[in-house]
Amino acid sequence: MSDFDSELDASGLNCPLPILRAKKAIAALDAGQTLRIIATDPGSVKDFEAFCKQTGNELKSSGEEDGKFVFMIQKAA
Amino acid sequence: MSNRLSGPERRETILSAAQGLFASKGFHGVSIDEIARAVNVSPAILYRHFASKQMLYAAVLEKFAGQRQSYVDTIVNHGTRFEDALAGMTQVYIENIAKNPDILRIELHSLLEGNPATLAFFQNRWKSFTDYIEFGLNEFLPYDVPHREKTILSAGLMFQGMVREALIQKCLQPQDRLIDLSLHELSNELVALFLRSIGINKTHLSRKATITG
Repeated sequence: MSDFDSELDASGLNCPLPILRAKKAIAALDAGQTLRIIATDPGSVKDFEAFCKQTGNELKSSGEEDGKFVFMIQKAA
Repeated sequence: MSNRLSGPERRETILSAAQGLFASKGFHGVSIDEIARAVNVSPAILYRHFASKQMLYAAVLEKFAGQRQSYVDTIVNHGTRFEDALAGMTQVYIENIAKNPDILRIELHSLLEGNPATLAFFQNRWKSFTDYIEFGLNEFLPYDVPHREKTILSAGLMFQGMVREALIQKCLQPQDRLIDLSLHELSNELVALFLRSIGINKTHLSRKATITG
C-alpha cells in the first residue's frame, strides 16, 4: 500500500508551474487524501510551505530524494 | 575613531557596495580593491568575508534570489486562468525589478560577459515565464496552428523580450515620451497585446484558457 493517493511529477518546471499543477491535482482529491509531488526547482521548498500555509492543506513532509525535492501534501478537510 | 561594525554588518555593507559597483560596471569592470575602497576597508578585511571576487559576486546574486517574490500568492489568489496568472506574475516581477533595478543592470552586463553560471541564473528567472507560457500554449493552442511548436517557443521569447524592454525603458533610461505611461500600465498593455497575439481575447476566450493538471 502506498502512503499517497496521487502523484505529480513537476521535475524541470519552474515556479509557479509546480504550484499551479499541485493546486489542480489537490482539487481532484477528496479531503484527507495525500498528493506526492516531485520537483527540481530549489525555490519549490519555500513555495510549497507558503502554498500550504495559504490554502490550509497540510504539508506532511518535505525532503530530498536522489537530488529531487519531494513533498507530501494532505488535502484539508 | 573608526566606526566599528559587527561581522554581519560589515558583510552587508560590502555586499551592498559590491552590488552597486557590479551594476554600474559589470563583473570584469570592478576590482576587489575598488570595492574595498568604497567601504573604507583594506582588501585583507574584505577577503575575510569573501574569499574571492567570484564569491562576492555569487553572494550578490544569492541575495537577489532570496529577494525574489514568490508567485505562490498569485496562483492561490488569482485563480488558474492562464491570462490572470500571467498578469499577476508579471506584476510581481516588475515590482521586484522596479524596487531594485540593479538586478536588471547586472543581468544586462552578464549577457555580454557571458559567464555561463551567471547567464543560467538570470535565464532561470525568466524560465518561470517561458515555461508557463509554453506549458499553457501547449494545452490550449489548437493543434492545426501552423508551425505550432515554433510558435510556442517564440511566444515565450516574445514575452521575455517585451517585459525586459519595458523594464529597461522605465527603470534604467526613463524617456519623456513614455512619462504618462506608468510601468504598471505599460506592463498591463503589453500583456494584453501579447495575449491577443496568441489568440486570447480577455473577454471571450478566458474560460478556455485554463491550464489543466
